Amino acid sequence: MHELGVLLEVVEQVTQVAEENEVEKIQKLVLQVGELCSMIPKYMKKIYPAAVDGSILEGSKLEIEIIPGNGRCRHCGCVYNLIEEKGICPSCGENDFELLSGKEFFIKEIVAC
Amino acid sequence: MEKFRVLEIKKSVFEDNDREADEVRKELKEKKTFLLNLMSSPGSGKTTTLMRTIEALGNEMKIGVMEADIDSDVDAHTIASSGAKVIQLHTGGMCHLDAGMTRQGLEGLKADDVDLAILENVGNLVCPAEFDTGASKNAMILSVPEGDDKPLKYPLMFSIVDVVLINKIDTLSCFDFDFEAFEERVKKLNPAAKVIPVSAKTGEGIEKWADWLRGEVQSWNA
Repeated sequence: MHELGVLLEVVEQVTQVAEENEVEKIQKLVLQVGELCSMIPKYMKKIYPAAVDGSILEGSKLEIEIIPGNGRCRHCGCVYNLIEEKGICPSCGENDFELLSGKEFFIKEIVAC
Repeated sequence: MEKFRVLEIKKSVFEDNDREADEVRKELKEKKTFLLNLMSSPGSGKTTTLMRTIEALGNEMKIGVMEADIDSDVDAHTIASSGAKVIQLHTGGMCHLDAGMTRQGLEGLKADDVDLAILENVGNLVCPAEFDTGASKNAMILSVPEGDDKPLKYPLMFSIVDVVLINKIDTLSCFDFDFEAFEERVKKLNPAAKVIPVSAKTGEGIEKWADWLRGEVQSWNA
């Protein structure tokens, strides 16, 4: 359960931001998760209530924005989605690419009152 | 009426761990403690290899071991019998160690006077590769029965380690393990990685491994 440990870290960081901004209640947490990062959105949603239990995030909603895993082909320059194309450039057939995005794991924002 | 506000945080969660790992490394360098992060799948022979390592280097440097497991202290008992300083870390279900847990481990071990600290990470080829523990060097063990195709299946692990030990070479006659193909797969992911075949059971190759480790500890603590 990789996701639980990382979510606990998220709770800690959000709690800190909430304290700094004198926030008492959080409605929604928005995370940005790369397609190629090791965090699975489905599991995160499932364990979110347990991870935030007893924290300032208890009862809040979790929203996850997915960042596509894109690469640029080093041979022809084509930008393509690595998961859809299984890593292979759809235009020239090579699988030598520069990673552009998809490994991110960001706390984007919280909606509070 | 309730007033809502949106606080933009835009913060990378993994970045925090990377920063803490760098701090741990800096502190270790100052205290002249070399930290080896040892990773592998369950049952590849981490603990037996550690016993051999302590046997080979124990009388020339002070060694401390942190055993990380989800539960139990079986491995810590085994290591304690070697005379090395050892503590057991329970990850409480977590599949990897991060820099914060490593720091706690080092404090628990009272590692200040230790020349070589070894972190036996949770047996797992996936998650431990994702988190920098703050170690001076990263090592992994792959045992012959696991097969030579593992670099294809767990590319991240093989791409972040400084050295790969191929353990259980005494069992080679029972398995189709292709050394050349394995080394080629590792080098493709990680040209700088060193590959050392060993048998923790018979002691074969341990000297070469101990030489590598001794060299690294000396240059770190210089």
